[in-house]
Amino acid sequence: MAALLEMRGMVKTYGSLRANDGVDLDVFAGEIVGLLGENGSGKSTLMKLLFGMTEPDAGGIVFKGRELSGHRPREAMAAGIVMIHQHFMLVEAMTVLENIMLGWEEAGKLLRRGTIADRIREASERLGLDLDPDVRVADLPLGRRQRIEILKAVLRDADLLILDEPTSNLAPSEINELLNILRRLRSEGKGIVFITHKMPEVIEVCDRVVVLRAGKVAGKAGIAGADKASLAAMMVGRDVTAPLSVEPKAAGAVRLDIRALKAQDLGPLDLRLRGGEILGIAGVDGNGQLELAETLAGLRPVESGAITLDGAEITHATAARRTEAGLAYMPADRSTTALVKSMTIAENLMLRDSHRQPFSKGGLLDREATRKEARSLMERFDIRAPSEQTLAGSLSGGNQQKIVIARELARQPAVLVAHQPTWGLDPGATRFVLERMIALRDAGSAVIYISSELEEVLAVGDRIAVLAGGRIAGLVSRAEVDMTRIGLWMSERAA
Amino acid sequence: MNKPANTGAVQLSRLPFTFARDHVIWRIGFALAMSLLSAAILILLSGKNPLEAFWAMLAGAFGSPHQIGVALNRTSPYLFAGAGLALCFRAGVINMGSDGQIAMGGVGACAAVLFWPGEAGLLASIAALLAAAICGGLWAGVATAIHLGRRVHEVLATLLLNFVALLLVQLLLSGALGQPGAGFLQSPLMPRGVWLPRVPQFDFHIGVLIAAGLAAIISFVLWRTPLGFAIRVAGKSRRAAAYAGLSAPGITWRVMLISGAMAGLGGGTEILGLHHRLIEGFSSGFGFKAVTVALLGALEPAVTIPGALFVGFLEAGAQAMQRQIGVPSSLVTVIEAITMLFILAATVRRT
Repeated sequence: MAALLEMRGMVKTYGSLRANDGVDLDVFAGEIVGLLGENGSGKSTLMKLLFGMTEPDAGGIVFKGRELSGHRPREAMAAGIVMIHQHFMLVEAMTVLENIMLGWEEAGKLLRRGTIADRIREASERLGLDLDPDVRVADLPLGRRQRIEILKAVLRDADLLILDEPTSNLAPSEINELLNILRRLRSEGKGIVFITHKMPEVIEVCDRVVVLRAGKVAGKAGIAGADKASLAAMMVGRDVTAPLSVEPKAAGAVRLDIRALKAQDLGPLDLRLRGGEILGIAGVDGNGQLELAETLAGLRPVESGAITLDGAEITHATAARRTEAGLAYMPADRSTTALVKSMTIAENLMLRDSHRQPFSKGGLLDREATRKEARSLMERFDIRAPSEQTLAGSLSGGNQQKIVIARELARQPAVLVAHQPTWGLDPGATRFVLERMIALRDAGSAVIYISSELEEVLAVGDRIAVLAGGRIAGLVSRAEVDMTRIGLWMSERAA
Repeated sequence: MNKPANTGAVQLSRLPFTFARDHVIWRIGFALAMSLLSAAILILLSGKNPLEAFWAMLAGAFGSPHQIGVALNRTSPYLFAGAGLALCFRAGVINMGSDGQIAMGGVGACAAVLFWPGEAGLLASIAALLAAAICGGLWAGVATAIHLGRRVHEVLATLLLNFVALLLVQLLLSGALGQPGAGFLQSPLMPRGVWLPRVPQFDFHIGVLIAAGLAAIISFVLWRTPLGFAIRVAGKSRRAAAYAGLSAPGITWRVMLISGAMAGLGGGTEILGLHHRLIEGFSSGFGFKAVTVALLGALEPAVTIPGALFVGFLEAGAQAMQRQIGVPSSLVTVIEAITMLFILAATVRRT
């Protein structure tokens, strides 16, 4: 059987960077191919070449037996290739039906609204999408919105679906449903490329895996026999799944004391952190994680209770005063809270300290000292970028997060609140973040590590608390972790 | 208010646009060529010779030192208000109340001169300018208090106060500040001693020079001080600003007061340098020209200097064209507007 898509020897260079260096990719009808690779390994470039968004230096593409070259994205789509992006291209104020009709030429000419609505219902039923054509997109949860994009592709008779990091915005239950939908699409004979760096999903749903590293195919594997460790090693070129060395430290004095803390959708809760420990907070997203993080950071009002940091009360202190007192915060929302993407690395490094040494002197910004400090932080925290004047938004997720880490850790905080700090990061960058958290702990700080990735919480937390319905459902030390009990706590809801 | 990180689109910036900075000279050149072409067609349609009209326009703007002086006087209030607005917009605070703030600046200057106890001289001039800045700032402060205190959108609060300011000027001119028996709503002529000095030969008052100096200072504040940094962060992401510990109300107060004071100075210098008395409606439409100037300057306070000069010279030339060739005055307004539209279309981008 001939392949649905054949990409042969794709080469693309940007300046001195060989983004794709002789990459081959085959996709057959009725299979799911996982495309794995760290940020910057050449996945996006390969897809841009496929869609004709950029010209290859060498190589050829054959789709459904026809040569595709010198094509534009429109032609790729017309031929039957659809890309489902991480950020959906939907008009929130319009209904599902209207979004599907949008930009679909045949729909306007040949089909009536009623006919399309019927087709939506039929396809939605068949694939288990659970979409009502007359619901406004704004009223749908994210997982459901993604299915509109899938439905669009199906109704337009696409043969090849490319999903770019499709699970990064989804809740665990939504991920399962998505994987089921993909299986049904596969059984209908669609070819699917699943771009991701989440290993468990790959192993669960893909038939084959192609791993890219530094612009080359680092490995291909059938899924049978592949395991997380070998795939991760292929991606990164070294083993990043080895257990972290987290010898428990003798915990020091109490650094953060939270008593009967209550805020909107949060608490009341009590927590006490000692220097030299990491408190991992697990739980299903939306159970008070954001509320806890932002209340501690001073971004949400406290209704009652008290927060004490190193003996000083900061219950109602402003965010700026908490920073002075030694509280560092890594928000989950990297792109609009933790960073200003359209500002430079140097400006982002001084974001919370612009009025202090070394960034300011005598009431004026000290540009020379800022540059020097930025270069030294980039060196210390391994931020890879052409210069300190590079815009933060142009960096990979891992390097963006390193800016946040550099800024928050350079202050040598007493307490760090880290919320989903590895979100969207590849295994190499995730490892870096976890190691920094542990190093901070070993230096005597207290860390609150909030994540919905249970595995990470268990890997770094000296004690593990579970947040459910805005309250602490349970708290154990690592030695006493019992997965069944944690599972029970996670499913608990505040009465 | 605070959405979790993963609920889709978030507002990155409070301003719905950015500026295209690549090939900006070519873009502007092209925009100017297109507006000349459109103007030529409109002038032809009105039965006049476009070449003659353009010549008259050039002569009107640059023909003599006096004409240049006229254009520079026009530039002055636009530059004052426009440079202040550039700072405001940078912080993502949309102040649409320059008209009223300019008018209140005029009131402040006029009242200070009329009630000045001492001799009309340099000291009185300086006091009048200070009063202009304070009144303009206060008027912006009223809008800010309404905006922050009652959560009224700043566009509404500033815009509606324009009308209040204009009526207030009328009220004052028919009472405490008015010239009895003048037949117009205007104040008495100010003594010569308080008039702003003029630059010899070109005969423009020094307002435009003060404005340029202040625009440069504002630019310095924006780029070289922690306050300027806070303003830039707040304009790009309110969430990042809150996270950084920067107070949004504090930033809003500062940029509103600064831009109000700048607009007030624009009104004050117009009174002290050009009219030498407060006249009803002297600032009508200035505020919106100031918005254009801020945009032409790409919200870069120092770049509003060429932006304001462009508008000032364009207006002076267009007026001359109207006088000499007899092009209808409405057509002149249309040509001015088309030119600004082309330039903005060439530089402003939706985000």
